[in-house]
Amino acid sequence: MILVFGGAYQGKTDYAMKEFGLSEVCDLSESGEPDFTKEIITGIDAFAFRLSAAGENPTDYFRARRELWDDKVLVITDVSQGVVPIDKDVRAAREANGRLMIYLAGEAKQVHRVFCGIGKRIK
Amino acid sequence: MNVLISGGAKNGKSLYAQQIASDLADCGPLYYIATMIPRDEEDRARIKRHISEREGWGFTTIEQGKGIAELIRREDVDLKGSFLLDSVTAVLENEMLPVALKDGRQEFLGEDAEAPERVRRELVAFAEAVREAGGSVVFVSDGIYGDSCGYNQSTENYREALARADRALAEVCDRVTEVACGITEEWK
Repeated sequence: MILVFGGAYQGKTDYAMKEFGLSEVCDLSESGEPDFTKEIITGIDAFAFRLSAAGENPTDYFRARRELWDDKVLVITDVSQGVVPIDKDVRAAREANGRLMIYLAGEAKQVHRVFCGIGKRIK
Repeated sequence: MNVLISGGAKNGKSLYAQQIASDLADCGPLYYIATMIPRDEEDRARIKRHISEREGWGFTTIEQGKGIAELIRREDVDLKGSFLLDSVTAVLENEMLPVALKDGRQEFLGEDAEAPERVRRELVAFAEAVREAGGSVVFVSDGIYGDSCGYNQSTENYREALARADRALAEVCDRVTEVACGITEEWK
């Protein structure tokens, strides 16, 4: 698995498509569950937020489906750099997202960070 | 050579950018494009502080908070010079979220939906015109993309527009640098 992360609107999915020559994208930004038949799964942060709001642990979700994403590119927004959210649920979701990123980065063969549309391999 | 500098607020971007712009001037004209349109006392105090921080660096200040492409045609501006544009964030704000002062109070004029594309196009045009003339521009922007809370639609539109401006500039710049704690990370 290749993990691509970075801030919002940085061009992470475009970078993943271009860098790895892929075109099949499952976008979870608005709704839905991961379709692991696609090459790129993006918007994982939004999905993690929805799981967290429903009382589920996003890391457990991905751990339980480990073999389904072994050859995928996973794209996630890093939402860890702002002010601690006042809302308890958003705070919990933000933490869940951070834990998920740590888990996925640990499992990943490569980790790329995207800044202003430019990617850099950091693992 | 054109340079894009971004990163979190209060991390030393402006000082670093001043240094780069000054080095790139190499005894030629050195311009500071002042982008802040003061709206209150706090802004005026900040501008005063910025001016004193630039003292002795040899910058000629050009007030241009909007319409950056106008600089390409100005007779008193030498495009072979070195320009510091600080910041892309302010230019976009001035054009996208304009306010008018009325009886000393700020009045929001509404979001200009055409501003994101226009600002992006003008910034790129300016970068390319200066490069063609043999000069350089150092653009300073802000990394405001790491929050977990969603903002209202207008603020999200602004964040996305700034990110798109940054990405367009990153493509036409020779160097892209992130500043964190005053330390630089080269991206391009």
